[in-house]
Amino acid sequence: MTSALPMLQVRRLAKRFPPRAGAESPWILADLSFHVCEREFLTMVGPSGAGKSTLLNIIAQVDGASDGEILFRGEAIGSANGRTLNPGWDCQIGYVTQDDNLLPWRTLIDNVTLPLKLQGRYDEAAKKRVVELFCATNLTGFERYYPHELSGGMRKRGSLIRTLAYDPPIILMDEPFSAVDAQTRTQLQQDLLRLWNLGRKTIVFVTHDIAEAIALGDRVLVLSKSPAKVIADHRIDISRPRDLGNVYKLEGFGDIFERVRRDIQ
Amino acid sequence: MTAAALSSPLRLRSKPYLVPAGRIALGIAIVALWQIGTGVMGRDFLPSPWDTLARIGSLARSGELFRDAAITFGEAAAGMLLGGAAGAILPFLLRLSPRLMRALDPLISAGFGLPKLALAPLFILWFGIGITTKVVFVASIVFFLMFYNGLAGVLSVDPRLIATFRVAGAGEWVINREIVWNTAKPFLFSGLKIALPRALSGAVVGEFIAADQGLGWYIEHARSLNDTTGVLAGAVIVTVLVMAVNAGLRRVQARSLAWRPLAADMTL
Amino acid sequence: MKLRTFFDRLIVLLLVIVGWELCSLYFGTIWFSSPWRVLRRLIEEIQNGDLFYQGAYTLKAALYGSLLGGVPGLLLPFALRRHPLTNAILDPYFIGGYGVPKLALAPLFILWFGIDLAPKVALVASIVSFLVFFSTAAGVSAVNSQYVNAARVFGASERDIARHIVWPGAIPYAFAGFRIAAPYAIGAAVVGELISSNRGLGFLIVSGATDFDTTLVFVSLVTLTILVVIINLLVGRCERWLLRWRPPQQGPSLRVAGI
Repeated sequence: MTSALPMLQVRRLAKRFPPRAGAESPWILADLSFHVCEREFLTMVGPSGAGKSTLLNIIAQVDGASDGEILFRGEAIGSANGRTLNPGWDCQIGYVTQDDNLLPWRTLIDNVTLPLKLQGRYDEAAKKRVVELFCATNLTGFERYYPHELSGGMRKRGSLIRTLAYDPPIILMDEPFSAVDAQTRTQLQQDLLRLWNLGRKTIVFVTHDIAEAIALGDRVLVLSKSPAKVIADHRIDISRPRDLGNVYKLEGFGDIFERVRRDIQ
Repeated sequence: MTAAALSSPLRLRSKPYLVPAGRIALGIAIVALWQIGTGVMGRDFLPSPWDTLARIGSLARSGELFRDAAITFGEAAAGMLLGGAAGAILPFLLRLSPRLMRALDPLISAGFGLPKLALAPLFILWFGIGITTKVVFVASIVFFLMFYNGLAGVLSVDPRLIATFRVAGAGEWVINREIVWNTAKPFLFSGLKIALPRALSGAVVGEFIAADQGLGWYIEHARSLNDTTGVLAGAVIVTVLVMAVNAGLRRVQARSLAWRPLAADMTL
Repeated sequence: MKLRTFFDRLIVLLLVIVGWELCSLYFGTIWFSSPWRVLRRLIEEIQNGDLFYQGAYTLKAALYGSLLGGVPGLLLPFALRRHPLTNAILDPYFIGGYGVPKLALAPLFILWFGIDLAPKVALVASIVSFLVFFSTAAGVSAVNSQYVNAARVFGASERDIARHIVWPGAIPYAFAGFRIAAPYAIGAAVVGELISSNRGLGFLIVSGATDFDTTLVFVSLVTLTILVVIINLLVGRCERWLLRWRPPQQGPSLRVAGI
C-alpha cells in the first residue's frame, strides 16, 4: 500500500517564536521527526496547546521553523532560517484549517473554484471534478449561496472540497471538525473517508480527539505536551471501509484507544 | 430590532395605517407650526414656508440656482476625486510596510485631531477666493475621512484568510485584489457615505468664508443683506442636494455589498 | 514600544520639521510660517494668556452646545422605548434631521442669534443632538431582550427595567455618541467663529489670515489639534472608567465611521 520513499519527511523540527519583551520565548516544537508515506492517512493526536497548529503551519510554510528540515518527495523545502517561505510549496501541499476561511464575499462555488482559477487550471476536467465534489458532499444546490447563508457543517465541507478541488498531492488538516456538533462531525468524518477513498490522497490530520484519530487514520502519532515531539506511533489495523457511526464497536478499537490514552498521559 | 418587535404593542400591528397617517399629520403640523412661527416672530425673522418655496422657485427660473449649484457641486466633486482617491489608495500602500505604518502612527493620530474645517482661512490665504481654494479644502476633508476608513479596513484583514490563499497559490497581487480590497471595500463605502455629504457641505462652508459664487456664497451674501428668506431658501436647497446624494449612495452600496449578512454598519 | 519604532518616529518628526522649515524658506514666512516661529509664538501667546482666553471661548461654545444638544439626544431614546408608535412616526423626521448639513445652517443661526456665543451653541447643539440620539437609540434597541424578559419574570417593574437593564446596557452607546461628537463640537464652534465672531480660536485664525500673520494661524491650528486630542483622551478615559465592568472590545465599534 505504501511506496518505499516517504512522501513527506520531517526531521528534527524545532520552533520557538521571537523573544517577547526581552524574554526568550519557550520552545513550541523540539526535535520533532516523523514521515508520511504516499496515500497514507496519518493522524496526530496531542493535548490542546501542544503546538499542533504551529507544526502544520510550518509544513504548509505559512510559518518558518527555527531548526530542522522538511523533505517533500526527498527534496528539502523550507529548512531552518529560510527567510523566504513558499506557502503551499507551489500548490503541492494543501491545508484545511480549523476555521473554514471561506471568503464571505464570494459564493460557495466561487470560493471552491478560486484556487483553480488562480492556478489557471479551471478547465473542463476541473469543472467536472468540482461538480462531483459538490455532489459527493451533498452541497449540490447550494453553489450560489454566500458562506453566511450556510450551516457550519456545510461551510466545513465547502472548505474541504476547496482544497480537494485543486488536487494537491498531500493535504494537511488542522482539527477541521472541532467546531461542529457530534452528529455533523460523524457525517463529516464519513464524507472525508469516502472522498479520501475516491482519490487516495496523502493526508496529515491533526486532532485532540483520540477516537477521531483512530477512526480515521492508518497510523496514529502521539505528540507530547509542549514542546511537542512524537512520543508514540501506532499502526491502526481496523479494516476499511469503517462504520464511523459505531466506531467504539470496531474490532480492536478499545485496545488502541487505551494505549493512546496512556501515551498522552 | 428584535427587542422592539417583541415589545411592540398590538395596536401597531393591528392598525398599521397609524404610522403613515401619523407621519403625514406630523409633517402638516410642522409646516403649520412654521407658519404660526412666522406670524408670531415676523417675516424678517422667520420667513413663511410659502415665501421660502417662492424664493427657490424664482432662483430656479432665473437660472441662478443651477449656476450656483453647479459651482458648488463641481468644487465638491473635484475635491472628492482628488482627496478621495489619495485617501483611499494610501492605506493599501502603507500595508506593504508595517514599519512605515508604525513610524507614521503619531502623525496619523495628530491628523485625526486636526479640525479640517479650520484650515479654510489658510487655504484662502494661499490660493485666493477662487474655486481652487474650495477644491483643496474639500480634498483635505475627504482625504482624511477616506484615509482613516480605508486604514481601518486594511487593518481588519483576517491574516488567516491570507495564509489560506497563499497556500492555495495566490500571489501578492491576488491577495491584495481579492482579500484586502474586498475586506476594505465596506469600510471605504462607509467612508464615502460620510465623505460625500461632507464634501458638499465643505464646499458650502468654504464659500461662506470667501467666495463670489456658489450656494454657500448665495447664503452668506443673503445673510449680509439680512435677507432671511434667501438664507433659508439656500439652506433648504443645500439640504435637498445632500439628501439626494445620500439616497443615491445608499442604492449603489446596497448593490455592491450584497454578500454581507446584514447592513451591519451604523451610519454615524 | 520597540527601540526601532521609537527611532523611526523620531526620524518622521525630524522630516516633518525639516520639510516644514524648507517650505517656509521657499515660500517665505508670510505665506508659510516656520516651526521655530510657531513655537516661539505659541509660548508667547500662552504666557500673555491670550490663547487661554480664546481657547476657553471656543471650548465654552462646544461644551454648552454639547450639553444643550446631548442631553435631549440622550434622554429621548429612553422616553421613546415604550412608545413604538410615536417612535415609528418620528423616525423619518429624525433621519431627515440627521441628514441636514447643519454647517450650512450657520448663517441662519447667526441671523437669528447674533454674533456672540448663542449661534455657536445652537450650531454645536444641532450637530451633537443627532449624533448622541442615534447612538443611544442603537444602544436601547440592542439591549438584550432576554435580560428584559428575565427581569419581568423576577417581577421587575418597567421602571426597574429601565433603571437596571436598559440604562446600563445603552450607556456605552450613548458614550460612544458623545465621543464621536466631541471633535464635531469643537469643529462646529470653530466654523461658527470663522463666519462671524470677535472671539475664539476660529476668530484668531481668521484674523491671522487677514493680517498675513500665518504664524498666528498655525499657532491656532496647533492649539486646536492639541485641544481635540486632549478631549478625545479625556472622553476615552471617562468611558473606560465608567465601563470598567465590561470585558474589552465588546461595545459598539462606532469608532471607524465617525471621524
